[in-house]
Amino acid sequence: MGKFENKYILITGASKGIGFTLAENLDNLGAKLILHASSEDGINKLTESFANKGHLIFRADFSDPLSLEEAWQSQINQDIKLDGFVNCVGLRSRRPLNLLKPAHVMNILHANVASFIEMCRLVCRKNGFNPGLSIITISSIAAHSGGPGVTAYAASKAATEAAVRCMSKELFKKEVRVNSLVCGQVNTEAYSDLMETKASADDVILERQYLGLGSTQNITDILLFLLGKESCFITGSSIPADGGYLS
Amino acid sequence: MTNEEKIALIEETLDIESGSLNPETELLSVAEYDSMAKLSLIVLCDENFNKKLSGEQIRAFVTVGDILAFLD
Ligand SMILES: NC(=O)c1ccc[n+]([C@@H]2O[C@H](COP(=O)([O-])OP(=O)(O)OC[C@H]3O[C@@H](n4cnc5c(N)ncnc54)[C@H](OP(=O)(O)O)[C@@H]3O)[C@@H](O)[C@H]2O)c1
Repeated sequence: MGKFENKYILITGASKGIGFTLAENLDNLGAKLILHASSEDGINKLTESFANKGHLIFRADFSDPLSLEEAWQSQINQDIKLDGFVNCVGLRSRRPLNLLKPAHVMNILHANVASFIEMCRLVCRKNGFNPGLSIITISSIAAHSGGPGVTAYAASKAATEAAVRCMSKELFKKEVRVNSLVCGQVNTEAYSDLMETKASADDVILERQYLGLGSTQNITDILLFLLGKESCFITGSSIPADGGYLS
Repeated sequence: MTNEEKIALIEETLDIESGSLNPETELLSVAEYDSMAKLSLIVLCDENFNKKLSGEQIRAFVTVGDILAFLD
């Protein structure tokens, strides 16, 4: 029997990168998944990759936090009780202050902060989860070290980590744990895009991250630990998974 | 959009005194043309011209005229 046999786990942002590798691992370990993406391509990839596995698909646009309640209630059977929720949605933003207009900043904050909090609210309603529910959101080293051009992204990640510390203290009575996984650079499409648009060849990032570029499996291994009972004494934390970057 | 309008837009995006650039200006001689300025160019191309500008393309720019040619 798989380690997560019959456990219901929601993965938001499951169609790419870290979320996709996590979905493959949990599928192998027997979990029942709710797999989320926002684009048509993302949804198609999820249905093709996990055809006939009995997992559920959830489509919602995190740029519009106000739409999530209706989307969640209309698409997902509300009798399902979740054992895990991993949030892998995180819009990127790289632009200098002179081009950082409010509409852009608000979109990043809506998708990365407001929508994460809203999903926590929806998942943590009465009868929506089993005791022991573990919630993890993927944060970034940007929230701790910062850098030019990533103001909106870093602010959004720091905000989610602050939210996690508050929600963990509210939710422990319901036997819910909430943590942030603070990732360094991971080998994903988004990372390749970043390298492609970098104006100057730049090895600085990986110099600080002395264990080298992470793989989505590196991150998934830690997520599996945080989802499982073995991590029952960890909550409200920002846990680094950064190849040494922040040390 | 005329070349003059494009140059004005580049000057505004890079936060450079208006009228200081012309097609022959060598980018290496522009003090403000640093890595953040290059990032601004990427955003400018994306939002105003719907064009994806890569790091490789940016590194190939020598003069302001090269940027104008890319925007065409
Ligand atoms: N990759 C790294 O090096 C790195 C480093 C530090 C932190 N992180 C964080 O790790 C998380 C995952 O990153 P990743 O690189 O593995 O994947 P990613 O390319 O950022 O994609 C993650 C998911 O987000 C979904 N998504 C995109 N726009 C959305 C929207 N408007 N509403 C809802 N969902 C949307 C995508 O689905 P569709 O496009 O199919 O809708 C996809 O499934 C992010 O939070 C990121 O900030 C990544």
